[in-house]
Amino acid sequence: MPEADAFLRVEHLSHSFGGFKAVDDCTFEIPKGSISALIGPNGAGKSTAVGLIAGALKVQSGRVYFNGQDVTRLPAYKMARRGLLRTYQVSREFPLLTVMENLLVPPPGQRGESLWNALFRPSVGRRQDAALASRAVDVLETYGLLPLRDEYAGNLSGGEKRLLELARAEMADPKFMLLDEPMAGINPALIARLDGHIRRLRDQAGITFLLVEHNLDVVERICDQVVVMASGRTLAEGSMAELRQNPEVVRAYLGGGLDERAVG
Amino acid sequence: MDLILPYLATLTIFFFVYNILTWGLNIQFGYAGVLDFTFITFVACGAYFSGVFALGPGQKSTGFEWILGLSWPFPIALVMGALAAGLLGIVIGLIAINRLRSDYMAIVTLATGTVIYGLVSNYTPLFDGFDGLAGLQTPFSQWLNINYNQFTYLWVGFCGVVMVICWFIAQRILNSPLGRTMRAIREDQEAAEAFGKDSVRVRLIAMSMGAVLAGVGGALLMGFIGAFNPAGWTSGETFVVWAALIVGGRGNNWGGVVGSFVVAVLVNEATRYIPPIPGNATLIPTVRNMLIGASLIAVLWLRPEGIIPEARRRFYQLPLLPGRRTPAEGVGSAGS
Ligand SMILES: Nc1ncnc2c1ncn2[C@@H]1O[C@H](COP(=O)(O)OP(=O)(O)OP(=O)(O)O)[C@@H](O)[C@H]1O
Ligand SMILES: [Mg+2]
Repeated sequence: MPEADAFLRVEHLSHSFGGFKAVDDCTFEIPKGSISALIGPNGAGKSTAVGLIAGALKVQSGRVYFNGQDVTRLPAYKMARRGLLRTYQVSREFPLLTVMENLLVPPPGQRGESLWNALFRPSVGRRQDAALASRAVDVLETYGLLPLRDEYAGNLSGGEKRLLELARAEMADPKFMLLDEPMAGINPALIARLDGHIRRLRDQAGITFLLVEHNLDVVERICDQVVVMASGRTLAEGSMAELRQNPEVVRAYLGGGLDERAVG
Repeated sequence: MDLILPYLATLTIFFFVYNILTWGLNIQFGYAGVLDFTFITFVACGAYFSGVFALGPGQKSTGFEWILGLSWPFPIALVMGALAAGLLGIVIGLIAINRLRSDYMAIVTLATGTVIYGLVSNYTPLFDGFDGLAGLQTPFSQWLNINYNQFTYLWVGFCGVVMVICWFIAQRILNSPLGRTMRAIREDQEAAEAFGKDSVRVRLIAMSMGAVLAGVGGALLMGFIGAFNPAGWTSGETFVVWAALIVGGRGNNWGGVVGSFVVAVLVNEATRYIPPIPGNATLIPTVRNMLIGASLIAVLWLRPEGIIPEARRRFYQLPLLPGRRTPAEGVGSAGS
């Protein structure tokens, strides 16, 4: 059974594509209210693990516990409804929806989504939309995206899309955010702002974070706990300072280079 | 005058019916991204079921046989036809819309439609096989004493009223949070699921609501022509509706109107009444299909979003809560 303070717990998770074991007996746990990082060389299986936890990939073996419940093989939309939200390594905005509309899609419990209300009681959806729109204005303002609210999300720059990704996730009121390389392709000034947002969400909204991240400065700065993956396995867990002393971690990742399997 | 007016009235009926059909396909594909390549099956479902609800009982001895045969008034039969199509939409949707493999949607709908076509056109106890339904009494004739031309004008009005109702259905879905979720799923199904959207449920709603409109259109055709058989719903008819939607512009219902006028009325139906050229009976249908194909290709090259593209929803279209500043009060310039 998962321990009481482990908000997310992954046990012996394995997943292969064809014959290739992308995730191989991966085990770790994330305490509630923490900002944790999942690091490891390219190809270590981090994104695959994210997909397995979030329900986008069907777990082949192993278990996932979230918030005290076994959520193994729950489909993605049910994980989201339980409060676990994931973002993608490559931004997945809705390109032909405006930035504003992108923020109005995530909020849970939209009564205007029922066919009955859409057809016969459109005011229900309109009223709820008005409240959500005001909230979205605040969120967009926080992320500096307000001037872009009427732009198609597909037209944003790479960095703006990353901000949109986080803003959109915030609108969903999650308990847990699983962010796959949220800082990829972002300039240093913006990185400082993004990690500010992450800390604000943890402190104010009590959201627990697990970030997949290659930027170790960011990890060192904001993460309480770090999980290292290599060749599909968890190699070590601990603070960044501890991991720097761990020869195995240094050899597999901190020393640089690709995952062992990729190099051969 | 005696010829022109009924002819124009007939074209108007086809225009109205094709508007409804194009909006139906728009709900499925334009809103929710469902690749329905058997749209005409839902039209046929509406036509057949409205037919067997309105017709009298079929009799094997006379060579006409079909299920039901309840002699109900046509407006009620139309509703039954629409409901039957909506149910079929859910059934085909359940087969075709699979959470993991959305790319197979198109081919699965096509396959399902082919199975249904084979069944209906060969199994006579259902809808009289390849001969189809015939002999429907002119709708309203039990209450009104009118000749055929007068019926045609009456039918223009009836189709008009039904069309307005369908317009409201299509617009309300589009402008609701449900419509927004459908468009999000169309844009990126996986990302929408990552935000808690049950894409199968939402796409099933789109599939069956689109099928309801298809069924309504089929029932209106049944009521107008009084007969319906498998020659009237070959897969080429699905192509006409698709071409109308793509040419006119998907994702908005005005595009559907333009497309149904250009493709379905101007090209498809208007040429149907040109007398066949002696010695070359297939020339006109062939030219018609080539024209539809060419207009589709031209639009995809020159204006891929269609003649009327999907409108961008600007923020001021959303009412804010009282006390919120509106964009007009100056927050910064809107994008682009
Ligand atoms: N759908 C797939 N089919 C086949 N192989 C896959 C698939 N997805 C991932 N892989 C393989 O699984 C391994 C792990 O991939 P994954 O994306 O999880 O790595 P990662 O740790 O996220 O790497 P990066 O840091 O580069 O993002 C890689 O070798 C990759 O080639
Ligand atoms: Mg990755």
